Amino acid sequence: MANHAAAFAPQFDDAEQQRTAANLGIWLFLATEILFFGVLFAAYAITRVRFPDAFAAASRLTNLPLAGVNTAVLITSSLSMALAVHAARHGARRALIAWLSLTVALGIAFLCIKAVEYRLDYLEHLVPRLDFRFEGPQADQVELFFYMYFFITGVHALHVLIGVGCIATIAVMASRDSFSPAYYTPVDVTGLYWHLVDVIWLFVFPILYLVSRS
Amino acid sequence: MTNPAETRPVVYVLVWLALMVLLALTVGSAFMPLGRAHTPVNLAISVTQAALVMLFSMHLSTAHPLMRVIAIVGFFGIAIMITMSLFDVLTR
Repeated sequence: MANHAAAFAPQFDDAEQQRTAANLGIWLFLATEILFFGVLFAAYAITRVRFPDAFAAASRLTNLPLAGVNTAVLITSSLSMALAVHAARHGARRALIAWLSLTVALGIAFLCIKAVEYRLDYLEHLVPRLDFRFEGPQADQVELFFYMYFFITGVHALHVLIGVGCIATIAVMASRDSFSPAYYTPVDVTGLYWHLVDVIWLFVFPILYLVSRS
Repeated sequence: MTNPAETRPVVYVLVWLALMVLLALTVGSAFMPLGRAHTPVNLAISVTQAALVMLFSMHLSTAHPLMRVIAIVGFFGIAIMITMSLFDVLTR
């Protein structure tokens, strides 16, 4: 398998060119992801500028302790993913599988914490349409914040879920000895995707949870 | 050159450490009486965190210039979209 893995597809001059093409492809995809979340951030910015007080009040109702822990979990999973790519580059198969498994575990932990958070939000009547209740001024605008909160965090969680699926697949491929120092592109591009999901969360976290706490 | 100069594992650990410190800073700053400066401080910290991840964990600092161009175009697109939209809302 190692010999086969070292080869490159016939349309490329060499393995280097093949690797550059794969990286170019994933970066183009990541740019579209940045723009996709960018639309949500733009919608958020516009509504927040129009209803600053309602957004401040709404943000205080979000669960900061759980979201803070989740941010730390995601940052740590980014580290283990980076170490997985490093292991793949050096052909350290067991280390690769171990780091990928840790990344999957942290990704699942993120999703579980998020689920607990959603449940608490539900119990506090913060889910729009379902049984939203807010005793105070500008209740409609506060509800609007929670539409955005659930949409942005929901779409992000979907990205985490997809990432967990990809990384688990890569881990299975690694256990079947599919990678070598000459060919580990799937590990590389999956890592780039996972880091971007982390980067997006680093913006989602402050704009939803830290609007007004003091 | 997508097989860039080797990034040593210690760099990833340092990035992780910096991200954790910045996370503590951004949460801590939210509880300080900064008035209107809250959001700029939070966003400046987020941009720093994102830059650390993209430059080192995602190897943009050593990647082919083309990858850097694509990443910058993505963020530039968002910046245009948000500022142009805000021009409308803020000047009504």
